[in-house]
Amino acid sequence: MRKLRDFSLVHFSVDHPRWVVAVTLFITLVALSAFPRVRTDTNPKNMLPADSAVRVSNDAVEKTFGLYEDMIVVGIKNEAGVLNKTTLEKIKRINEGILQIPGVAARDVAGFSTIDNVTVDKGTLQVGPLMPEVPGDLRALEGLSKQLFENPMFVGRIISQDGRTAAIYVPLEKGANGKAIADTIRELVKGEGGPENYYVAGDPVARDTFGAEMFKLMAIFAPMAGLLMFAARYFMFGDLFLSAALMMDAMIATVWSMGLLIALGYPIHIMSSMAPVFLMAIATDSIHIFNEFYFRFREEKDKKTAIIKTMEAVGRPVRYTALATAAGFSVLLFMDIIPVKIFGGLVAFGTVLLRILSFSFIPAMFTFVSEKSIETASRGEDAQSSRISQFLAHLARLGAHKPQAVVLTGLALFAVAVAGTTRIKVNNNMVEWFTKSSEVRTADRVMNAALGGTSLGYLVVNATGDEEEFIKSPQALRYIEGLQRSLEKLPEVGKTTSVVDYVKRISRVLHQDDPAYDKVPESKELAGQYLFLFGMSAKPADLDNVVDPYYKKANIWVQLKTWDAGAMRKVIEAAKDYQRENPFPVEIKPAGIAYFNLVWNDAVLWDMIKGFLLALVVIFAILSVNFRSVKWALVGYIPLLFTVILIYGAVGFAGKDFAIHFINRFRLRLAEGRNAAAPESIEEALVWTAARPGKGVLRNAILFAAAFSVMLFAPLTPYITVGAFIVCMMLLSAVLCIIYIPALIVLFRKQLFTA
Amino acid sequence: MTRLILQMMIAAALLAPASAAPATAQPMDAAGIVGKMQQAFFYPGDSFRARIKMTLKDISGGERFRELTMLRVNMPGGDQKYFMYFHAPGDVRRMAFLVYKYAAKASDRWLFIPALNLVQRIAAKDSQSSFVGSDFSYEDVSGRNIEADIHKLLREEELGGRPCYVVESMPKAAAAYKRKVSWIDKTTFLPLREEYYDVQNQLFREFSAEEIKEIDGVPTAMKRSMKNVKSGHQTVVEFSATKYRLALKSEDFSERALRNPPGSWIK
Repeated sequence: MRKLRDFSLVHFSVDHPRWVVAVTLFITLVALSAFPRVRTDTNPKNMLPADSAVRVSNDAVEKTFGLYEDMIVVGIKNEAGVLNKTTLEKIKRINEGILQIPGVAARDVAGFSTIDNVTVDKGTLQVGPLMPEVPGDLRALEGLSKQLFENPMFVGRIISQDGRTAAIYVPLEKGANGKAIADTIRELVKGEGGPENYYVAGDPVARDTFGAEMFKLMAIFAPMAGLLMFAARYFMFGDLFLSAALMMDAMIATVWSMGLLIALGYPIHIMSSMAPVFLMAIATDSIHIFNEFYFRFREEKDKKTAIIKTMEAVGRPVRYTALATAAGFSVLLFMDIIPVKIFGGLVAFGTVLLRILSFSFIPAMFTFVSEKSIETASRGEDAQSSRISQFLAHLARLGAHKPQAVVLTGLALFAVAVAGTTRIKVNNNMVEWFTKSSEVRTADRVMNAALGGTSLGYLVVNATGDEEEFIKSPQALRYIEGLQRSLEKLPEVGKTTSVVDYVKRISRVLHQDDPAYDKVPESKELAGQYLFLFGMSAKPADLDNVVDPYYKKANIWVQLKTWDAGAMRKVIEAAKDYQRENPFPVEIKPAGIAYFNLVWNDAVLWDMIKGFLLALVVIFAILSVNFRSVKWALVGYIPLLFTVILIYGAVGFAGKDFAIHFINRFRLRLAEGRNAAAPESIEEALVWTAARPGKGVLRNAILFAAAFSVMLFAPLTPYITVGAFIVCMMLLSAVLCIIYIPALIVLFRKQLFTA
Repeated sequence: MTRLILQMMIAAALLAPASAAPATAQPMDAAGIVGKMQQAFFYPGDSFRARIKMTLKDISGGERFRELTMLRVNMPGGDQKYFMYFHAPGDVRRMAFLVYKYAAKASDRWLFIPALNLVQRIAAKDSQSSFVGSDFSYEDVSGRNIEADIHKLLREEELGGRPCYVVESMPKAAAAYKRKVSWIDKTTFLPLREEYYDVQNQLFREFSAEEIKEIDGVPTAMKRSMKNVKSGHQTVVEFSATKYRLALKSEDFSERALRNPPGSWIK
């Protein structure tokens, strides 16, 4: 059925090439019209479905404590110290400027001129902004310095221990664009000038800058990959028109699938931003068509017949590789992580499109080429004379004549690689996705060195008993205080803040600033009155952020010095240890963006494993159907398995393409050979397969690798990693295919051929 | 463009009869209206007492309560004294708060902390900060200096069937809000509605007088609410046991009274 459809499509395309090209271009234009609506999404929160348990509970925490999803931290650093009139004036101006930026939750910006300070001056309790005015004289300056350094809630938060760095914490309203706000702040500080240095850090900055970069990369790298492949093809075939046709094939499929994605209203995530490069690479599979076309043309000398015959010969493997690729990627649709799903669907869909184009657009384009240029191009395609073919034949001979040695070496490598995969570490530290010298990473490094940390996680302590306003009790306050101290022992934790810090501060202030009273009060009533006093004068958010209005839940702010997911894991473990050692009627739950990074991290790892196993099963099934033999499927499967284990990744499955082509063509050759007067030996057939279709395999691998190699020049490490990984994998799997399949076939010839 | 012109023409057509109509009330300037409002809202009846129930409502439907008795006496020259005694919640019972409000300078405030048996003087640094953790600020409770803002009469319109002046007030110095728009009842001069806009000119707070009753001949907002539009948090204030023109003495507003509140007035 399918065969019939394909060939009527090929015939139709060869007969009406202009029509096919016109329709293709029209659909491309329609798809392009969706592009202006593109938007990116790099928020780790949106990687999980909105109704997932983690998101629901996190939303509840944010609601209870009036927390903001996102916070930008602005650092002002002066090597000579920030506590001088000029720097303080700059800080005040920056703070005021930030309040004006749309998207900034102005009421809760915490900096020198907006943060609440509790003090006693000449017997009068003062609660108000720390620095409403810049100190005019030295005495006032000393007063400010004393206020800052005597208050543990300020040191490490808005002022560094060494007094050289001041910080402003800028919470963002829901849906605000962190990058745009960060850019406005950068403009703002630029106006202030030196000698101070300014840093803008925080997850939203990294995330939204990443989104913008991602978009740029997509617009630059996909066409670059296309161009590079175009150049490589031109070099291989020497025909401009055909190379262009192949590139158009890839471009069209990319535009169609991305256009559909955007039109359906999906945002572009980091994974789907790589899809165009993947599609470019997958498109190289049609190289087999070209490869074969040139050989056929030399034999047939007639363009149309050559096209039809080419499609007959390669139709089956091309179709199956497409099917296997599409199936491999569509397995990702069953994963939990939204971007992984979208990526899988996108690439699977694009692959199917590519194949349809291979049977329509490509044959149509063939008809436009002059026979003369095909002649020229195909001259270099003599299997005997080509050096590449000879080299490949050598490789295959190695496999065919020394199968045991080859297989044993492979097994050894395999064992080493399996050991290696157990050490795979997923890194969702978005800041580290930027190159080391990037502004985002520098800002983060400087701020984390000077202050309590730019990554924020929460631990919610929830009273499980019935006692009303339990958190106000001395036991509960001491319990929370103890938890904070044990968390702060972790090197990743910079600073923790809780309701206890406020209570202790007020206690001290009400006792003539006596440090001996910097402690949890003896009675619940007293704590209640302290908090009431504080609540009478402070910003409501001050208390709301750390305790729920019913004093049943307390929220501990944990500032982390790294965005590594592992840091939050350690915090959670430390909290569990503390609970074990100090039994108390509370439960402790993590929340916040740092926790999200952790959850997402674990989910990605699990999804990768799940996807890997599922895809292996699906591809094995497809191979079995293709070869109509489980045994042959096994032979084709092993190089694939080797490759993906040697260098694992969602895309490892591309290796199967080579095996499919190789085995299909080998069996075809063998079948043809059997009817010949002098039957070829299996070894000879293998060497032939390596030399002729093997060349297609290698070309395919080189093109594939070329497409991904552009990603090596990206400024974001995930792209570099994926690029490097795929380049290595493609080359390795091509070589493995040519050496190992012959070795395995020779080794298991009895089992394979008696069937 | 044509739409704009059309809109302007319609607006002009609507305005024409209004401006042509004879002025019924005597013309008033904006500052005068706000002055009358302050007299009606913060100063009526020389002295005043009410039992106040505050309901603090959060967005998830949770409610907390504050209960206090408030006493006020007017002093010469626009000064005032306030005394607040807290009944609830439990842990703040017996806490008391004393405010001397001066027309010409920042007010004095004292708080009695029973658990420490301590009277603590509190600076009135920020009169726009929250009043006892509610959505009302100190200014909302005791008034703002009329000179601190530039007032402008925007228009006159009905609100809930009552003719109102709509006045815009813009602080001269930096404040918690950039501008405030008030609907002031033409007959009682009570503010029926107020909208506060932040530095980004976005609405962030809404006041409304929900129930107005005449007590001892004085129109009084018995139920009022302040809503923080940004956070969704809301505070509803209800008056009961309200009385004007009581025989309050100056000692009823002393530091001694903070420790031993005048029992006869605290109900």
